[in-house]
Amino acid sequence: MTATTTPPTPAPAPVPEPRGTAGRSSRLSRLVQLVLVERVALLVALLVIVVVWFYLLGQNGYLTAAYDSDYLAASLDSFVPLCILALAELIVMVSGRGGIDLSVGSIVSLAGMALGFLIGKWDWPLLPAILVTVLVGALLGAINGVLIAYVGFPALIATLATYYAYGSIALISNDNAPISSKPVQDVHSLTKGVDVAATIPDFPLQLLTFLLPVVVVVWLFLNRTTYGRKLYAVGTNDIASRFANIEVRQTRFGAYTASGVLAGIAAVVIVAQFASARPDAGSVGNGMALPAITIAVLGGVVVAGGVGRVAGVVVAALLVTWLNAGILLAFEGSDSSQFQLFALGALLVLSALLNAWSQRRARGAG
Amino acid sequence: MAAIASPARVRRRPVARAVEGQELALVVVLAALWLVLSIGTDTFFTSSNISNIFFSVAPIALVGIGMTAVIVTGGIDVSVGSQAAVVMVVVAKLIRDSAVPFVVALVVAVAIGLVLGSINGLLVALGGIHPIIVTFGTLNLYRFVALRIFENKQVSGVPSTLQKVGGGGPGETLGVPNAWWLAMVLGALMWVYMRYLPTGRHWYAIGGDPAAARLAGIKVRTRLVAAYAITGALVGVAGCVFIGSGGLVQQNAGVGLELSVIAAVVIGGTSILGGRGTVLGTLLGALLVGTVTSAITLLGWRSELTELFIGVFILTAVGVDLARARRRRSA
Repeated sequence: MTATTTPPTPAPAPVPEPRGTAGRSSRLSRLVQLVLVERVALLVALLVIVVVWFYLLGQNGYLTAAYDSDYLAASLDSFVPLCILALAELIVMVSGRGGIDLSVGSIVSLAGMALGFLIGKWDWPLLPAILVTVLVGALLGAINGVLIAYVGFPALIATLATYYAYGSIALISNDNAPISSKPVQDVHSLTKGVDVAATIPDFPLQLLTFLLPVVVVVWLFLNRTTYGRKLYAVGTNDIASRFANIEVRQTRFGAYTASGVLAGIAAVVIVAQFASARPDAGSVGNGMALPAITIAVLGGVVVAGGVGRVAGVVVAALLVTWLNAGILLAFEGSDSSQFQLFALGALLVLSALLNAWSQRRARGAG
Repeated sequence: MAAIASPARVRRRPVARAVEGQELALVVVLAALWLVLSIGTDTFFTSSNISNIFFSVAPIALVGIGMTAVIVTGGIDVSVGSQAAVVMVVVAKLIRDSAVPFVVALVVAVAIGLVLGSINGLLVALGGIHPIIVTFGTLNLYRFVALRIFENKQVSGVPSTLQKVGGGGPGETLGVPNAWWLAMVLGALMWVYMRYLPTGRHWYAIGGDPAAARLAGIKVRTRLVAAYAITGALVGVAGCVFIGSGGLVQQNAGVGLELSVIAAVVIGGTSILGGRGTVLGTLLGALLVGTVTSAITLLGWRSELTELFIGVFILTAVGVDLARARRRRSA
């Protein structure tokens, strides 16, 4: 199964396989690989269907506003933090042993408050403040990492506890009040729309300044570095990785720290978008962890670990964003938010069923 | 894993202890906390405050009874909050619009919970999906269903049909809320069931190793569906407790319930990895969370601190357990 975790470059198998089964397992891995490749193709097809469908609905006057390229570009606002957090979940879920991070929402709140204090109250310049915010995220993620990788807490428990703890500290930090003084409001300029050319609709700036670098770096890390290869190995099989002389604990610790870093970056984007550091930014509604986990699973990440790709997660995030944007236009008032819940839940269950089915088929073929 | 005792452990401990170490520790912590609070404040040890604690903890304890079974099988159910919302909006509208008696309301609530829980169980057992993913999905779907039934407004003017399980005077027997009596009775039944009956033991076996359990002739799928269905039924009962006092049911009903319940179960010593845990521990865990919530209010501390304490309790409870497991392995 190891090869399934590592498209496009096949990783060295942690455990050498006996000769007789080599042919069969490569056929098996090719099949599983195909299913995973199909996942991205499937998501792209779904994405096209959703966009065309809503575009036609809009053309025929069924929507409250036009579902055109300007609207699609503007709706990418919510895509940026969502996608960054989904990538965080990708990394921790790939790390295996029931990897999950429920605390990303609370990290967003707490790191966002840190940014608020730094520039809103202590008048730090923007760049060092952003750097420290991301470091705060890294620290909070590292605490998760120590608890999970070194002390041995199950990820669900450790991040449930820190979800409570970080969220509580964020609320207490400024007496439950947001920080939105002038310098914090000025951060909004980080997320203004950019007008490149008349032919391209204005898209949010953070797409280029935050999301693109994050996606590229995460992709390079997972696919082009030793650390990435180790992460997939650890997620696939703890014990085999230990025998292959991989520092299992260090690798898993790194995954949770990376998740904290990404949540810190998401915090900067969210503070900028709202022009305000809100202590409950990451916990409104059902919180931010839930949609992020949903998108990761929709993107083909397997909860058991070792399987998941950046491309799948990014396309899944885009699909959810534009689907939600369409639903927003299709229903009046609060109906739209209700149908967004429905769409998210249905997508999650169906994609998980698909994951389970394709894995079973792969096993059956082997 | 410890539930299926190895021969070595059986020899060391010939009679199964009725109370596990973690439960004993919780009793001590609770007793100490109550003692300190009774001496430190003159408002804590009053019958109304104690009754309040029991009442506020009852729904968490009720759902926790089922959640213990689910977690013992190695699963989890994060959709209980949304299930509670569906139960509450349907039952609240039912007793407001057609004035049905207490028993009918309770039966309807349990039936709805049973259906919602069974859907989770079927998806987990037959769909082969990881429980946390299934229930994250149904968390959204059930919330959607509840909000559709709410029709964008809260349900107000709910009559006090269910006041027998509600808070305050009519809902109490011997000064203790009926809701808490209910939690204790159902908890005791479940405790006996999970401890002494074969089908109850099966949950531990499944949590320990599902493949081995299947080979040992356990109907893994049936038992899994049962655990989630029972949790749903108990959510139905808890929903009745929530609307017991009548009045208002709001659209955010049940939001966050899953986390308090899971916290209570885990603090009570149930292993999230499955195979180990007791209902008694869950009831004690729920009481501990309720006591701390009440204490923070009485001491005039910030209410946001409650969550910090819950987080610390979870880490302590599981940390102690991890340390013990390590000692056991090295011994």
